[in-house]
Amino acid sequence: MEKETLRLLCKVNQLALTEEQKDSFLKFMDAREADIKALDAIDTENVERMVHVMPIMTVVREDVEKKLFTRDELQKGAPETMDGYWQVPRVVE
Amino acid sequence: MKKILLDDMILTKELPTSAGSKMLDGYMSPFNAAVVERLTEAGYEIAGKAPVGEFAIDLSGETNFEGKTVSSEDCATVMLDVNGSPRRIAAQNGLVYIKPTYGIVSRFGTVAVACSGECVGVMAKSASECKEVLSVLVGNDERDGTMHADGVCKSALGIKKVKKVALLDMGVKSAELDLARSELEANGIEVASVDAGVIESANAAWNILMCAELCNNVSRFDGIKYGYRAKNYKNLDELYTNSRTEAFGELVKTAILYGSDVLSSNNYMSKYDKAMRVRRVIVEAFTEIFKEYDAVMLPACSKTSYTASDDVFVENKYTAPASVTGLPAVVAGGVQLVGKAFSDGALLDVSAILTKEGK
Repeated sequence: MEKETLRLLCKVNQLALTEEQKDSFLKFMDAREADIKALDAIDTENVERMVHVMPIMTVVREDVEKKLFTRDELQKGAPETMDGYWQVPRVVE
Repeated sequence: MKKILLDDMILTKELPTSAGSKMLDGYMSPFNAAVVERLTEAGYEIAGKAPVGEFAIDLSGETNFEGKTVSSEDCATVMLDVNGSPRRIAAQNGLVYIKPTYGIVSRFGTVAVACSGECVGVMAKSASECKEVLSVLVGNDERDGTMHADGVCKSALGIKKVKKVALLDMGVKSAELDLARSELEANGIEVASVDAGVIESANAAWNILMCAELCNNVSRFDGIKYGYRAKNYKNLDELYTNSRTEAFGELVKTAILYGSDVLSSNNYMSKYDKAMRVRRVIVEAFTEIFKEYDAVMLPACSKTSYTASDDVFVENKYTAPASVTGLPAVVAGGVQLVGKAFSDGALLDVSAILTKEGK
């Protein structure tokens, strides 16, 4: 993997790595080449991809309104709230 | 009242749930997981939370953000198996663990990591105790959209017999495998060595699928609605980046980046899509073995303890076959038995031979 690709991956995932961590990740990616080779050695032509391991049909529930939690209960774990809203830094200058 | 422990991947209203991560340090869930409801309704007392490695993807709990380690407890523990950690712990500590058939125990209220393979299972000192607790946990829950119908879930504990076992040593020569083989044979169960074939590559596919799913699942942790928020930031972008960078450990960051890479437009077909197709090939390989055998015996790990240089993405070679296929797996006597879907009860019954229960 190129360092530029890693920079983009870090950006989209909102992560900042130290130089040491970047080197460590690039080594990890080199090691994964063995995985990719192992997969490439398996013939998957005419094999359909398997999303669910079991024959499960996702059933959509009836659209019925249920009052499960209060606002206070849901915001109990929030780092910062104000007047029932999640508080974030100013986004419009 | 019987006591039971829950691992720290299972949400509880009365106790904090950290998922082993600084990101969720002290997090109090507004609701209980489905398995907590079932256990308390059945009269179990929740005795506490057992520590896990960060998001339960490591070898055996070594990445817990507080350095807390998993220890053998006197009571059974209900644990989420994401990447085989409970199976490795059971194998290395003389315990029994069942990762049930995918979709027979509700995952509602567990911290989501690799949803297409993770299962809530039970660790205990005996197969019979695992079965007793599992019988409380199985059953349909409409809040988990990946579950089987109630009757199908409960059929997993029905009367079935394991008469023939295929041994896949996966290149590991261990006294536990030899002993298990002779114990099974002494009890009239036929054991024959079988080539693992493509099953050897299960972790190559699982590493891709697990990391892709983890990458998506942990994207919700942004320092806004719940969880850790960095102290220093100048704007919203820095708040996100600093919070995630400071709170996630190195293994989780690695998994996020790998997951993001395999899902990128350049790699989606060659890596993620390929892994999903290989998943089907592996399921078919097990189906072929199960035409002749009732269960497969394989190692749960390659060694009796780990050092810092051991790599979970390599060591999960032994646990990935059951994770990627959703098949039930029981670890007992230091070895792993993988069975046909819904043969959970039969696997536990045959595991009792390996733990010499009733003798």
